[in-house]
Amino acid sequence: MFGLFKNYRRDGLLSIVSALVWMVVVVAVPYVEKLVIDRAITGERRDLLGPLVGLLLGVGLVKALGVGGRRWFAFRLSYRAETDLRNRIFEHIQRLAFTFHDRTATGELMARASSDLSQVRLVFAMLPITIANVTMFALIGAVLIILDPVLGSVTVLTIPAMGVIALLYARRVLAASFEVQQRLADMSSVVEEGVSGIRVVKAFGREDLEVAKVDKVAERIYHKTMELVRERATFVPLFEVIPSAATVAVLWLGGIRVADGAMSLGDFVAFTQYLVILVFPLRLTGWFFAELPRAAAAASRVVDLIAKAPAISEPRSPKPLPDGGGEVRFDGVGFSYPDGPRVLDGFDLTIPAGKSVAVVGSTGSGKSTLSYLVPRFYDPDEGRVLLDGVDVRELSLDRLRGEVAVVFEDTFLFSSTIGENISFGDPDASKEQIRLAARLAQAHEFICGLEDGYDTVVGERGLSLSGGQRQRVALARAILRDPRVLILDDATSSVDAATEADIRAALETVMKGRTTLIIAHRTSTLKLADSVVVIEGGKVLAVGSHSELLTTVPRYEAILAEAVEDADEVVPGAATP
Amino acid sequence: MYARFGSDEKIERPLALLRRAAAMGAHLKWAAAAAVVAVIVATVARLAGPLIVRWGVDSGVIAQEREVITRAALTYLVFLVVQYTANSTALRAVNTVGERYLRRLRVKVYEHLVGLDLDFFGKSKAGVLVSRLTSDVEALTTFSNEGAINVITSTLTVVGVGVGLFLVDTTMALVVLAVMPLLIAASIVFRIFADRAYRRVREQIGLVLGSLQEGISGVRVVQAYNQERSQLHRFHRVNDRYYRANLDAAKAISIYFPTVDFLRTASVGLVLFVGGARVLDGAMSFGSLVAFILYLAWFFEPIIQLSNVYNLLQGALAALSKIFGILDTSPLVQESPDAVAFHRDVEGRIRFEDVTFGYDPGIPIIEHLDLEIQPGERLAVVGETGAGKSTIAKLGARFYDPQAGRITIDGIDLRDLRTDELRRAVAMVPQEGFLFTGTVRENIAYARPEMTDDEIWSVAGVLGIETWLRSLPERLDTEVRERGMRLSSGERQLVSLARAMAADPAVIVLDEATSNLDPETEATVEEALGHLLEGRTAIVIAHRLQTAQRADRILVVSDGRIAEQGRFDDLIASGGVFARLQAVWETAENRTH
Repeated sequence: MFGLFKNYRRDGLLSIVSALVWMVVVVAVPYVEKLVIDRAITGERRDLLGPLVGLLLGVGLVKALGVGGRRWFAFRLSYRAETDLRNRIFEHIQRLAFTFHDRTATGELMARASSDLSQVRLVFAMLPITIANVTMFALIGAVLIILDPVLGSVTVLTIPAMGVIALLYARRVLAASFEVQQRLADMSSVVEEGVSGIRVVKAFGREDLEVAKVDKVAERIYHKTMELVRERATFVPLFEVIPSAATVAVLWLGGIRVADGAMSLGDFVAFTQYLVILVFPLRLTGWFFAELPRAAAAASRVVDLIAKAPAISEPRSPKPLPDGGGEVRFDGVGFSYPDGPRVLDGFDLTIPAGKSVAVVGSTGSGKSTLSYLVPRFYDPDEGRVLLDGVDVRELSLDRLRGEVAVVFEDTFLFSSTIGENISFGDPDASKEQIRLAARLAQAHEFICGLEDGYDTVVGERGLSLSGGQRQRVALARAILRDPRVLILDDATSSVDAATEADIRAALETVMKGRTTLIIAHRTSTLKLADSVVVIEGGKVLAVGSHSELLTTVPRYEAILAEAVEDADEVVPGAATP
Repeated sequence: MYARFGSDEKIERPLALLRRAAAMGAHLKWAAAAAVVAVIVATVARLAGPLIVRWGVDSGVIAQEREVITRAALTYLVFLVVQYTANSTALRAVNTVGERYLRRLRVKVYEHLVGLDLDFFGKSKAGVLVSRLTSDVEALTTFSNEGAINVITSTLTVVGVGVGLFLVDTTMALVVLAVMPLLIAASIVFRIFADRAYRRVREQIGLVLGSLQEGISGVRVVQAYNQERSQLHRFHRVNDRYYRANLDAAKAISIYFPTVDFLRTASVGLVLFVGGARVLDGAMSFGSLVAFILYLAWFFEPIIQLSNVYNLLQGALAALSKIFGILDTSPLVQESPDAVAFHRDVEGRIRFEDVTFGYDPGIPIIEHLDLEIQPGERLAVVGETGAGKSTIAKLGARFYDPQAGRITIDGIDLRDLRTDELRRAVAMVPQEGFLFTGTVRENIAYARPEMTDDEIWSVAGVLGIETWLRSLPERLDTEVRERGMRLSSGERQLVSLARAMAADPAVIVLDEATSNLDPETEATVEEALGHLLEGRTAIVIAHRLQTAQRADRILVVSDGRIAEQGRFDDLIASGGVFARLQAVWETAENRTH
């Protein structure tokens, strides 16, 4: 874990140095107070009173600077490191291939970059003060024993005792709070479920049942919290009472020794001061060591993520892409998803430059996989995928993905303006280019109808567009780059008939003269393509035009029926209210 | 660490909020009083400490009276035991009161929430509603755990130490008090800066998490368009702003705490300087000086603590006002105080008599609607989006009350019926039903948890889904949702229909599913639906032709009025609105097949 922070030596060193300075001064303050008492007050040297108090103020100033430096450098170091690490995680996530993202939940990655990082950060922010504190315990121990060996030895014993109690306390409290957190998360999911399912709850008048669920979780929260409360009620007052108990020892043993003349009054006061000083650092140190294992676990999760090598990487010496019209060839391609069945098996298909092909097949036939292999979202297990005669694995990713544009089945839009979403692939695109792309995609008209036109913010934090509108924006985004190859994972599933007609018109314009691979979920899209490829069992079953296939391939209709089974359809005028 | 729960809005009438919150905890008042007493005892015991030390030093150590020293030490020890016991009891008592209060609050708020109209849920974001019962209640927990006891202890300590200082030596007390204005001024300045900084931290962390989320869910598009680098730049910017906000907060902390620290040392120096001179003059005893120094350590901490508590209090008040916002929303549809039960078995005759209704009373959606549905009749309601078909359905299930006219079931006005009676008689069922976490059994028996397995199987038998249920890995014990298997849309519909069947209502209001299923599942669902509706009065909000075709009567709604009604064939023959609608449907459905 500590290796993560080696880039921040300067701030680390500064914060440790200021922490140590602070610590030495902390230990010195009671000693100066003792000097004031012994030399000036009981020594009856009124002339020394002023200079000694002045010394105390000077020491106090150094101490304040030490505290400030320690906090500032430690904070800066830890936030800087957290920020850099978060950048690295983000960068890495962006580079990891689809195979990784298919298997990893968003929430899990979010946790790496948020809660895990803050846990790591906290430990590092506390490292300098912990180093200083541990040194302080030793130093105060030594000072106490030097001040008065007898009384010193007795009081020093309270340090390890308090340390053990502090650690024990921190461990128990952390364990109990973890459990409370779990119960609170339960509460969140129960309420979430009740709210999302409220129509069903009300339909059957079962509000009572839902309330009973919440009651049960609330009861569990109560019990777990009370366990936590009992731990705190047992320990927290101890932290106050133990140093006071040591004060009793000082008063008793020390008082008698002072009365005997074996110890000075100043020593006596210093003793009581040291005991007070110790309390908070001991608790903090206990907390630090209790938290350490969890932070270490969080750190190792972060390191594991960063160390993961992306499954798809840049070739060492990329080949140049020759000029061409975008011929795509699948050559004996075999593919299966990790732990999944074989999807493609000896798959051969050539899409001539400028032509369009629609692929049909039942769910799981591997038709969507085809679209992922061309821009190298996955690499085939066997065989090759070629773009204008070059194996896609030999091209630089930049070049390849610049020439192959994919419109995904679920159209993801970013939280920014429509204009920025369209120019996503080329942030330097001019306004004219953006408008042209939108026109081609039949999106210009509806965009102009929006209040802020191209500056309308969409996505999670903006206006939500209809399915058909999103699709056309995604299409505009794809063709803005004028790619050689266009891949459409056809998803006209969520649009009504009128919009579908619009989209079809848009597709017709953008497909003209461009190599296009359409993954068809709907019969109507088939008619757009020059030819239709039917795949079954990971191989090409037949190729031809829609009408040819209807007559020549007996299974064609059955496959079509199966192919559209997942596609949702909406009847005009009957959308849900 | 500080200002974690500070609110971003200004809180109106904090005292009224607190008074109202306190009133809700009236049942805990004795427990609360006992807790306060324990806190007072503990604080007093603690404050007595330095006085005992002074006594020990002056009459024992300096006077060289060994017995007095022993007696002082033993007295201190006794006080320590009292202090520990009282402190521990106080902590437990205060937290118990707090937790019991919150435990009840959670249930109460949720109870109120689920009682609100569907309309309210439609208008509110689910996440916001969830946060009322989670983060808002947790803000209160934090206040009750860390704030409440601190308010009492810190206030008592400041006052107690203040009094103690004056008791020991008036001149010296005035000297110490001279430092106070500085400390308070520093605290106020810090508060202002820290609040501002932490508000920015909260805003920025939201943006960081948002970008992160977007970067992860949009990663496929990012890679497809080779925009890893530009995404990273964007993220860097957001992440960096968060870093800067954190640094601002860190700066405030790094200045404030050293300042307080120096003030503390300075006040000890002042005490030693002035007090030392007074001891030398013989105006003050040495023990008093020691007691003063001990007290000083306790004088600063509570003042810092109080400024923290102020923050927690702000957070708690903000949370309270949001929670009260829920409690102050009252459902429009409420059970009348003299609501009745059905006199006999429900037949299921529904009548709308001159009903007018609008979500906004000024804009009626339904106007002067008259409609009678016979027991056992299957009525399909069709019409354009916004025509009012689902409004009719919702009125029939009394999710809203009409502004004029009345709706009756078996002759009884829905408003005069007990809610539980009404829900048992009329179930409004979305066909694409929401399933709850739990087993298939729990989901089917949702309306009647006491159902036996035999009863569930017989429901499944009637619906014709027995074979499917038996094919599930653990049959009725199969877990659905997060912990269990993912059911397909069609399978979810089957469970949803079984759930409605198990409730056995006389009247079903069904919102037909819009999604397409594969032909085989489709057939199973259709069959199950047919069995479910058999012998019941049914109002079906139809989205497809077939459904309309199967109804006994079709009601075509347009602009809140009945445009046409009648049997399928008759409507087609008459060539009206429905005939046109039917033509559109037919082409749409043919296109896909």
